[in-house]
Amino acid sequence: MSDNPDQEYATDESTDDPTTDDMAIETDVSESVASSGPTMAANTVVRAQNVDVWYNDEQALQDISLEIPENQVTAMIGPSGCGKSTFLRCINRMNDLIDAARVEGDLYLRGKNVYDDDVDPVALRRRVGMVFQSPNPFPKSIYDNVAYGLKIQNKEGDYDEIVEESLKRAALWDEVNDRLDESGLELSGGQQQRLCIARAIAPDPEVILMDEPASALDPVATSQIEDLISELAEEYTVVIVTHNMQQAARISNKTAVFLTGGELVEFDDTEKIFENPESQRVEDYITGKFG
Amino acid sequence: MATSDRVIEDFGHVSRTVGTVFRYLLLAATLFGIVALVILLIYVANDAIQPLTADPRWHLTFFLTLVLPTLAVGGYLLRTDPDSFKFGASVVGLLAVSTMFGGGAAMIFVDIVPPVVWFSYVLALGIALAGVVGIERFDRQLPFLARFAGAAAAIVGSFLLVPGLVQGLPIYPSNGVMLTASLGAPVAFVVGRYAAVDAGRRGTALAVLAAVAAVGAGQVLGPVLAIGAVPATVLLSVAVVPTAGYAVGATRRNPPVRPGLLLAAVILGGAVVGAAAVEALGFAGPQSWVDWGFLTSAHSGTAADAGLYPAIGGSILLMVTVAALSFPLGVGAAVYLEEYAPDNRFTRFIDVNISNLAGVPSVVYGLLGLGVFVTYLGQPTGTVLIGGATLALLILPIVIISAREALRSVPDAMREASYGMGATRWQTIKNVVLPRAFPGILTGTILALGRAIGETAPLIMIGAPNVLFSLPTALSSKVSAMPLQVYAWASLFASEPFYQAAVPAGVVVLLIVLLSMNSVAIVLRNKYQNQQ
Repeated sequence: MSDNPDQEYATDESTDDPTTDDMAIETDVSESVASSGPTMAANTVVRAQNVDVWYNDEQALQDISLEIPENQVTAMIGPSGCGKSTFLRCINRMNDLIDAARVEGDLYLRGKNVYDDDVDPVALRRRVGMVFQSPNPFPKSIYDNVAYGLKIQNKEGDYDEIVEESLKRAALWDEVNDRLDESGLELSGGQQQRLCIARAIAPDPEVILMDEPASALDPVATSQIEDLISELAEEYTVVIVTHNMQQAARISNKTAVFLTGGELVEFDDTEKIFENPESQRVEDYITGKFG
Repeated sequence: MATSDRVIEDFGHVSRTVGTVFRYLLLAATLFGIVALVILLIYVANDAIQPLTADPRWHLTFFLTLVLPTLAVGGYLLRTDPDSFKFGASVVGLLAVSTMFGGGAAMIFVDIVPPVVWFSYVLALGIALAGVVGIERFDRQLPFLARFAGAAAAIVGSFLLVPGLVQGLPIYPSNGVMLTASLGAPVAFVVGRYAAVDAGRRGTALAVLAAVAAVGAGQVLGPVLAIGAVPATVLLSVAVVPTAGYAVGATRRNPPVRPGLLLAAVILGGAVVGAAAVEALGFAGPQSWVDWGFLTSAHSGTAADAGLYPAIGGSILLMVTVAALSFPLGVGAAVYLEEYAPDNRFTRFIDVNISNLAGVPSVVYGLLGLGVFVTYLGQPTGTVLIGGATLALLILPIVIISAREALRSVPDAMREASYGMGATRWQTIKNVVLPRAFPGILTGTILALGRAIGETAPLIMIGAPNVLFSLPTALSSKVSAMPLQVYAWASLFASEPFYQAAVPAGVVVLLIVLLSMNSVAIVLRNKYQNQQ
């Protein structure tokens, strides 16, 4: 593992972000999607500029540039191995944990380049929540799972309250409120994934990254997760990777289509991508002729 | 259709003779070692215990009081309610194994560590822990180094001051009382909390108090049963109270397994009733060599008087030393290699060589111990410390390898989840990886200790005496061990009675200790696998 997540007390609380409060411009998300014209630009939370990623000598992402708007759901779709998960992991520098991975280009989170030399990846990850493909709660109690981020970050506040609030937002509270001290592993798959979402939102991150969060779940649990994602977008910026195009169409405001070789072929409002894509290759992919 | 009227009379046969022969050859290969070992063990056990010398009526009595009821109840439960059967068997097994460990612990308190010393160190530990917890709880804001220094000061200060102060007191309570406070009370606290599940604060307090009272009863029971207050207190707090707590707690958690208690009652009751009956009726038992005298007396020139006591104590002390040395070193190395080490040539070199070290003959480790500790560091030969250190070196590679295996079995998804939450590597290891890997690490360490307890060659190499007449009392005293004593009986004192009785008896004791250590490891592993 090449980077050093050991820099222990490096939470840079000093750079607490002023932009969140200052730029509270209301953007009516649903309308901007419904009208297929050019969207009004919401605040950009994540901005990638010419990002390239290599695994050893193999290029996984080619020259990716895109802007992810605030309080919306941005979906990344594309065939397997097209680099969409790799891009997601660039945002919170999880790729640093892989020895062979090398990232070039600039990626800004709220205006700060996360690949600057002075950025501590551990401190960065405390601002970015992540939900993984298969539910991976810790073998701890439900309470301790949700409170994990608060504890390791030494957050102030009433943990009981934050845990309850997070579980409510993750639509799990009613199912588990009487057994918070049971192991998180005793929940069903869908509940586990909602627990992971509660765990991710408990420390109140800037962005939530979701890497195919419903791919290991049955249809009922999937639709619960989808509803939840749409609700989360009211307060959080959500970036979701999915291989399920219907899912992207259902829940996202913007869609980025990656195709084989790690190129971003098209990035636009979801409506436009699915109804009137500019690129022939995207149309082929969406209509199932390719990929 | 053209094929509809075609009828096949016979499909013919394909020969499976070769396959069948092959299969049974494989079965023979599988059973060969086990059967050979079982025959040897029966032979040894027969020599050691000599069951045929008993009065047939003795056998009959125990058959009627113990074996028959156990078979009846056990068979019935096994068929109708396997969970209860398992529960009952585990209660009896826990009692047996913990009694054995309790015996070892009692030996330590009677002959090696005076209760007052133990009491003073437990007190020091308690005060140090209270100090550390206090610092952690009230001073979240202190920088890491200040907290670390505070905690270190609390620990070091407490251990430097408290034992001397306590041992310097002009009078202190009786040994039994001190053991009840320092050994029984912590055990009772844990056991009481386990037993009183869902009983609320009051119920828990009552359960803890009951457990303390039960341990305290050793003051009265010990002298009455003529085993002394100290061993009685130790046995109660290590064996009886934990077993009872387990029985109560498990039945409260899972009431349907309650019938299992019947099995435990039948086995224990049957043994007591049978013993009382043969005593009353005067039926002579077998002239076993493994008896109280054998376990509690030292070596003697005549086989009939020879015992294993100093060797058992020596083995226990060696085990404690080996565990204290090899566990932190081995687990530390494993954590470094699995979690921190970069994948480079140096790491791979270390990797390969740890595997090689695990295969180095034990006599070579003995030579290493002799060379390093005795010749180079000038330590006296054959002491507990260098014996333990040599054996620790011997099992270190095994501990490292098994601990790495346990760490590797922690899914990467767990680590990713933790890193994704913004945890540092240390936080991830401490909060996620180690708790999850701990049972596996413990299992591997116990199995490795089992290997160390049976080693003879390294002890001979470092000059451990073949026989001792008293227990070693300090790290710097000479030590013998069970396998060494058995070896001495079989070589230096080789005569008919030693050969035919003392050696088998020693082997049986050694094997019982080893098998119960392994059974603890297996139980731990199964529990761990069920949880995953």
